[in-house]
Amino acid sequence: MAFREVNSKMVEATVMPGQRLFSQRGAMLAYKGEVSFTPNIQGGQGGVMSMIGRRLANEATPLMTVEGAGTVLFGHGGHHVHVISLTGDTLYVEADRLLAFDGTLQQGTMFLGSQGGVMGMVRGQVTGQGLFTTTLKGHGAVAVMAHGGVFEVPITPQRTVHVDPQAYVAHHGDVRNKLSTALGWRDMVGRGSGEAFQLELSGSGSVYVQASEEKL
Amino acid sequence: MFRLQGSKVLAVDVTGDAVKAKNGSMVAYDGQMAFKKLSGGGEGIRGMVTRRLTGEQMTVMEVKGHGTCWFADRASEINLVALQGDKLYVESSNLLATDAGLRTGTTFTGLRGASQGNGLFTTTVEGHGQAAIMSDGPAVVLRVSAQYPLTVDPGAYIAHQGNVRQSLQSGVTFRTFLGEGGGEAFQMRFEGDGLVYVQPSERNTIAGDV
Repeated sequence: MAFREVNSKMVEATVMPGQRLFSQRGAMLAYKGEVSFTPNIQGGQGGVMSMIGRRLANEATPLMTVEGAGTVLFGHGGHHVHVISLTGDTLYVEADRLLAFDGTLQQGTMFLGSQGGVMGMVRGQVTGQGLFTTTLKGHGAVAVMAHGGVFEVPITPQRTVHVDPQAYVAHHGDVRNKLSTALGWRDMVGRGSGEAFQLELSGSGSVYVQASEEKL
Repeated sequence: MFRLQGSKVLAVDVTGDAVKAKNGSMVAYDGQMAFKKLSGGGEGIRGMVTRRLTGEQMTVMEVKGHGTCWFADRASEINLVALQGDKLYVESSNLLATDAGLRTGTTFTGLRGASQGNGLFTTTVEGHGQAAIMSDGPAVVLRVSAQYPLTVDPGAYIAHQGNVRQSLQSGVTFRTFLGEGGGEAFQMRFEGDGLVYVQPSERNTIAGDV
C-alpha cells in the first residue's frame, strides 16, 4: 500500500525508485528523502492524444509526477482525504477530487453519454460532473478528497443504492448509474423536499459518499 | 433506529415509520424511500402559522419507506439525543432529524434568544425517541445540577434538555462602552437539573461583538 492515512486530512505516500506517483499540483505538504516533483504538462498518463482528450473534456487538472526515494505528505485545502485501493477494477471519479494516485493505475477519460446516452449527459450536468469523468483502472491506491468524511456504501444486485448527486464522490466496480427523478407537483410549486434528483446505482461494487452537499 | 456512521453521518434504519429530517439532508439511501416536504415542520396549520410569525423557520421533509437512509449536512458534527418524555430545546438550524415518536413545536425564549443571534423563539422536541442535532465541531454535553449552575456563551450554545431554568447574565461594564470589552458581555446561565450541549465554535452574535 503506497498511501497511509496520517489523519483524516493528510496522507503519507512512500516513493521508491522506479515507482511513480501522480498528485495534484501543489498538494505536497512535506517530504523526507530524495524526492523530485515535476509538473506534468500532459496532466497525467498517456501521450499527447490523451492530453488533448482531457483538455477537450475539461478533465485536465494540473498534476505533477513524484519520483525518487522517500516519503511525501499530501493534503489540500483542509479537505478530508480517503484512500481507496483498487484491485483490478475501475474507479470513476471527478478529476478535481483526485489528490494523488499510484503510477501503476491507468488513467482515462469517460464520456458520460456512453453510459445511458442522453440521460447520462443530463446526469453529468445535474451532478455538476460535466460531460466527462476520469477513470482509474488497475492495481493500486488512490487518495480522493471530499468535504466532510467519506463513507462507503456497498452495492449488490439485490440492493440498489440512491445517492444525492451533490454528495456523490466516486464509485467503483461493475455499477450502472442513472439519474432518477422523484419530481412531483410539489417540486413545481416550490414545495419540494430537496431530493428531486437522485443517482441510482445498481450492480455490484461500492459508492463513496461524502457527509456534505457541498462541492469542492 | 438512529446510529452514527463516523461523526458526521447519521444512518437511520427506516421500517415503515416516518422520520422527519431537515430538507435536502439525505445523502444516500438503499431500499425504497419517499421524500415529502412538510410545510410548517409538520405541526399542522397552527404550527405553520406560528413558525411563520416567529421566524423560527424549519423546512422539514418526511422520509418514509423501508431501508437505510443516510443523512448529513455540510459536514457538521452530529450528536444523538435520546428523549424519554422530556423536552429538548434546540435551535431549528441545529436540528437534523427526529424519529416518529417525537413532536416538535415552538416556544418563546425571551431576551436570551436575541443575544444568541437566532431570534426570540426556539424549537422544542418532546416525546419518546431519538433526535439528531448538529454542531459546528464536536459538541460537549455539560451537566447542570442544583449545586452546579452552568454559564455558557450564547454563540456556543446549541441545545439543552431537562428541568432547567435559564437566564441572561450580562457582564457589561463601562469598559464595554469604551470598546474595551472582553467579548463576553452576555452569558446564558442555566440552573436546575439537566444537560446543556455546547459546540467548540461561536456563532456571530451581538454579544460576541461587545
